[in-house]
Amino acid sequence: MSYKPTLTRTWWLKHRFFMLYMLREGTVLPLVFLLCSLSAGAFALQSVEQFASWQRFMANPWVVAIHTVALIAALYHAFTFFKLFPRVMPIRVGTKLVPPAIMVVGQWLAVVAVITVFLWLFVFSGAAHGIVAGPGGGV
Amino acid sequence: MAANKGMQQALVRVKRYLPEEQQKTQSEPFWQEFTVPFDESTSVLDALNFIKEELDPSLSFRWSCRMAICGSCGFMLNGIPKLGCKEFLRNYSVRTSPAQKNTATNTSITASLTVEPLAHFTVERDLIVNMDEFLIHLEAVKPYLIAETSTQKQLQPSLQTPAQLAKYKQFANCINCGLCYSACPQFCLNPEFLGPAAIALAQRYNLDSRDTGKAVRMPMLNSHNGVWSCTFVGFCSDVCPKQVDPAAAVNQGKVESAKSMLIQMFKGSTAHEL
Amino acid sequence: MNANKTGSRWQGLHLEPLWWGLFSAGGVCFAVFIPAVVLIFGIMAPLGIIDISYQQVRGYYASIWGLMFTGAVICLPAFHAAHRIRHGLHDVKLGGGLVSIIICYGLAATLSATTLAAWYLLR
Ligand code: SF4
Ligand code: FES
Repeated sequence: MSYKPTLTRTWWLKHRFFMLYMLREGTVLPLVFLLCSLSAGAFALQSVEQFASWQRFMANPWVVAIHTVALIAALYHAFTFFKLFPRVMPIRVGTKLVPPAIMVVGQWLAVVAVITVFLWLFVFSGAAHGIVAGPGGGV
Repeated sequence: MAANKGMQQALVRVKRYLPEEQQKTQSEPFWQEFTVPFDESTSVLDALNFIKEELDPSLSFRWSCRMAICGSCGFMLNGIPKLGCKEFLRNYSVRTSPAQKNTATNTSITASLTVEPLAHFTVERDLIVNMDEFLIHLEAVKPYLIAETSTQKQLQPSLQTPAQLAKYKQFANCINCGLCYSACPQFCLNPEFLGPAAIALAQRYNLDSRDTGKAVRMPMLNSHNGVWSCTFVGFCSDVCPKQVDPAAAVNQGKVESAKSMLIQMFKGSTAHEL
Repeated sequence: MNANKTGSRWQGLHLEPLWWGLFSAGGVCFAVFIPAVVLIFGIMAPLGIIDISYQQVRGYYASIWGLMFTGAVICLPAFHAAHRIRHGLHDVKLGGGLVSIIICYGLAATLSATTLAAWYLLR
């Protein structure tokens, strides 16, 4: 005779570690919303009117709220993902491991770099409003 | 162990299971409370031994080395898989409230913890689980050197450089305690999943420059019950008493499995040296 | 220890490595690109902190950069999300098997395809 407890649907609520795991997995939910609104934006580029109505949709307080959650989710995802990367793809030089901390910092620098590029494109080149061609490519 | 003067009292709640007991009440798992004296050096395993020797000889649990190397004393301590001999009662201290006063000895309880059998395994009796459920997976991945069998080769020394050793050394520290299986929800949801330690050991031998068994192990790792059942929960690595980081091993295994399956597709057969 | 029990080319193969590859690539994009994108288009522009014009966005998006943007910011993250949702469903003992696979990756593929179509229509 013996017994074997099984997991209930809510097993992940029973321990802090598992809650953080589910939170990590859950970061994709606001992401899905963001992807849908961005995709809608791509279609809205067909005409000025559609683009204006897309901008109105994006400015809806609820939508801004969800996108703010999406930003936090993306940063939390990044926080967890960057720590995993050096463990899945350890880089070894001889017998020495490249310190994971260096790889984590490197990845955060990439995030900062991408934000800088986007800000540069849309803020500092603001004077270039009305341009037809993007950087490096024409229509 | 005599209850010396300098000793504090701990309340230890143990999940019991005595299947052969005739009374209906005891053939189901039940909780039993013990008050155990402890000091700075009392491990949880010491406490269980005290219970068995002084309070209730019917309590069953496994142990051997008392020094975190045999891997037999795994329990759930306050719900987290740990080695009983590596954990100390002093780390489970509680603030004393009047209600917790032990009236019989007039001493107060200063520590408290629950002890349960390792999770995700079948419980045979008290704190004894069926470790076969882990060991069959371990056995399946052939966790030993598979090397050239020609006598010619066997007579040669197997040389290995420090760099070659460094590749697998961490994964070689596993003591087969099974704590990682109790930390892994995927193993509980799918008991066919090879699981953290077995895959870590498979990686350990696959990464060993003296081993030639990778082609034999890969089909198992490639399967749905191999590396692909893992969602990198990562708790296994947290609870591992030997810092094996089985989660890293499993996910490095995914890279290897992807490579191996691609090679198979292009080479046209499962027999290939990787 | 006999490796000569050979199987055929397809024996034991499945699509998990593909899904995992897309998931991983999408995870990198989610972490590296999405913060900037959601900050600009989801928060700063709607709140009027920065000004984005139709001409400018269309100009950028209709170029080859728009295609790369779609891949890195829509398609790969979509497959990343699909993978996590599929496994998350399994974690809470819902769905499972082929049904989850078809629904999750199917929706990701649909979103990817429609967004690529939107880009193509601007050309
Ligand atoms: S990997 Fe760690 S937790 Fe798992 S069996 Fe080995 S030593 Fe124990
Ligand atoms: S008794 Fe050997 S590991 Fe605890």
